[in-house]
Amino acid sequence: MLIDDAVRFLSQIPPFQFLEGPTLREVAQSLTMEFYPKGTVILQQDGPVSESLRIIQKGVVKISIRPKGSGDEEVSDYRERGETFGLVSLMGGHQKTTIVAMQDTICYLLSRESLNDLMSSHPALTEYLLQFHLTKYVDMTSREIQGKSLLLGSSDRLLFTAKVGEICRSAATIVSPEATIREVAGRMAADRQSAALVAGPGGNPIGIVTDSDLRSKVVALGHSIEAPVSQIMSHPVVKADEHEACFEVVLRMLQGNIHHVAVTRGDSLCGVITNHDFMVLQGRSPLAFSEDIERQTTLEGLAPVSQKALTIIGALLREGARAANIIRIISELNDRIVRRVLEIAERELGPPPLPYCWLALGSEGRKEQTFRTDQDNALVYADPPPDLRKEAAEYFARFTAFMRNGLVSCGFEPCPANCMASNSEWCQPISIWRGYFTDWISAPTPKAVLNSQIFFDFRPLHGDESLAWDLREHLNRLIPDYPIFLGFLANMLVKNRPPIGFFGSVAVERSGEHKDGLNLKIKGVTPLVDIARMFSLEQGVRHSSTMERLEALRGGSTLIADLVDELEYAFEFISLLRIHHQYRQMEAGKPIDNFIHLESLSHLERQSLKNAFRLALRVQDQVMERYRSFII
Amino acid sequence: MFRWWRGIWSRPGPESKGPTAEASYVVLDTELTGLDDRKDGIVSIGAVRMRGGRIAIGGTFHELVNPSAVLDGRSVVIHGIMPSQVEAKPPIDQVLMTFMGYVGSAVLVGHCLSVDLAFLNREARRLTGKPFRNPVVDTLSLYGWLRHRFPDTQAFTASLPGLSLFDLAHLFDVQVAEGHTALGDAYITAQLFQRFLPLLAEAGVRDLTGLLRVGDPERQAENFIGPGGQAHF
Repeated sequence: MLIDDAVRFLSQIPPFQFLEGPTLREVAQSLTMEFYPKGTVILQQDGPVSESLRIIQKGVVKISIRPKGSGDEEVSDYRERGETFGLVSLMGGHQKTTIVAMQDTICYLLSRESLNDLMSSHPALTEYLLQFHLTKYVDMTSREIQGKSLLLGSSDRLLFTAKVGEICRSAATIVSPEATIREVAGRMAADRQSAALVAGPGGNPIGIVTDSDLRSKVVALGHSIEAPVSQIMSHPVVKADEHEACFEVVLRMLQGNIHHVAVTRGDSLCGVITNHDFMVLQGRSPLAFSEDIERQTTLEGLAPVSQKALTIIGALLREGARAANIIRIISELNDRIVRRVLEIAERELGPPPLPYCWLALGSEGRKEQTFRTDQDNALVYADPPPDLRKEAAEYFARFTAFMRNGLVSCGFEPCPANCMASNSEWCQPISIWRGYFTDWISAPTPKAVLNSQIFFDFRPLHGDESLAWDLREHLNRLIPDYPIFLGFLANMLVKNRPPIGFFGSVAVERSGEHKDGLNLKIKGVTPLVDIARMFSLEQGVRHSSTMERLEALRGGSTLIADLVDELEYAFEFISLLRIHHQYRQMEAGKPIDNFIHLESLSHLERQSLKNAFRLALRVQDQVMERYRSFII
Repeated sequence: MFRWWRGIWSRPGPESKGPTAEASYVVLDTELTGLDDRKDGIVSIGAVRMRGGRIAIGGTFHELVNPSAVLDGRSVVIHGIMPSQVEAKPPIDQVLMTFMGYVGSAVLVGHCLSVDLAFLNREARRLTGKPFRNPVVDTLSLYGWLRHRFPDTQAFTASLPGLSLFDLAHLFDVQVAEGHTALGDAYITAQLFQRFLPLLAEAGVRDLTGLLRVGDPERQAENFIGPGGQAHF
């Protein structure tokens, strides 16, 4: 009963939830449980070190640091049910923080000995606890969310009619159990495979070795690479018959927490299927939809098709597509609709007198729209000779007005800040645009910095792209000459701190700043977008989307060069959370917003969100350090 | 001479001294066929170990006993233990020997412990000629004592529906699971005791000598009446 309670609790919280049943029970056996009345100092800075990892079963604790020589306590974190504390002091041998119970708090204590045993037998758990990387569990989290949506069941599950045999790659790497780890790794690299099947004498699969096995069992533990691969392979192999539906196999992968399944035909092996294969499969379905868009030649025909685009998102979500894919697909569909409206406009109003380029701005420019958002666009045209100036201005005024109304009829609301090409300020020849950019960068007033955050994410969507690239080049040439501009961006960026205190207590939410919940867009997405934008502008990166920008910054000289993986996962996770939230609202017929409540999140989701916040805070701190002289 | 002997017998054992936060406790509960300690018997014993305020999740004790007395309908309703379930269980002698080994020299804690103790001691005497010699603490005595020390604490000022384990569990926000087993009740008692320990420390009771004094099962009524001679029910 005590143990059952503990097992039930642990099985809901990361990283323990990823342990197998018997291990979990063993862990539960070794626990003790302690009660701390509100106000109890559980661990004291510079006091005795923690002898156990404490897992909060109930209540909230506050972690604070009193810097040496200063009297002011700084709160560094709040932890709540499902979270742990005391690990750093346990491992580091020095209690660097003070931990106080903010409410009556109950903790399970995992002793140093038990923890050591567990950590040496479960590298993934170690990795999670040390939180060196967001990688693993964000992946798990997105699968957790997928699991939910998969289980919802739905009639329009169009992708899951395929059989695994149809999508599995036939060229699997197959090795014998005697092959050395080195040979197998070499074969996998040569075949560009993330896994190799270990086949017995009869050709039947007896084990599987994946990239993650090589990392966690060989590299991390210093296992000899000359040893036979059978020593590190996972077995038995999870198998699926080629005729099984993809859906069934995905479920099995979710339940078993595995990435690779061997596909068999009778007794022989066809190949390996990975979750990546399913993602690729998912990328295909909106094709039919975009063909439907291309077929429309009038606004009257396009509008209903465009409104229907939202339904595809629901299907994608239910099938567990990754956020990046969903967003990419939404952007792609929206781009096609906008292009179609532009083509219709050109036909209705006659050909433009000069080359022009339609620019997508803001989230549209970054290809990061979730559900249909406002119009954010601008138009740049070639510098007209003096005699054409008036005619060009008049034509593009009519053109952009047609566009605004056409887009509204397709479901894109007008921008409340009038950031649209139909506003004559944002429909100008290129020389005027260059002038705007020069002004904003050389004299970065708050208004100018705000503009730059929307306009510098521009992306050519239709027309003469060279105009847009000309503008991008102008921008990249200017920035190195005005370090003060980046200073202003940095200043803006560090002011928007993700609210880690949001997790402190549900009570925080009931009043004040977060009474409507947490604004995921402003507090979650924006800090990451701003980080990617600032470093991209600094480095002259041409891309406008956050993911592409981060990718371009990987391994470079910026201070986020080594954090790209984490930042991408954080961005991916928050985006997915946001899309799910908005989709649920849409389905319930409610207005769509960005506010999420703590109660609506699972432990894993909270944990992941919190880690994303911590990451953004860490980068902000480094930015502050770097641009110290500009921070006001 | 007699007094000297008495002294030897009641001399504090290894677990009768030292800080309450470091002592070993066994929190126990028994299920009985009835309350008559001449004719009723023990149906099950459940116990949880504590070291200071820490409850050990593993290493609990829970045994059903084949009772010498016949289970009557009344107690079947309370415990949900059917005669057929316990017929195949070991007899009390065997369970008690195991339990004595489990308990060792720990301080025994229970809610209304005198009742459990009367039965346990009867069996122990019959079996070994001696009762349990462990120091004992009653959570109800503790509650009564604490009531006077924390007049501002809601859990002590609330008007009481009763003084059962479940009434107190409710007051102190201790989760009560469905059903009614010896181990389940021992666990609730342990959590209650866990909440009392820091309060006792705050009121100055930090060592075993003090704990045994205020938690004496015989002092239930005395504790409730309090220093002013006023009952606080």
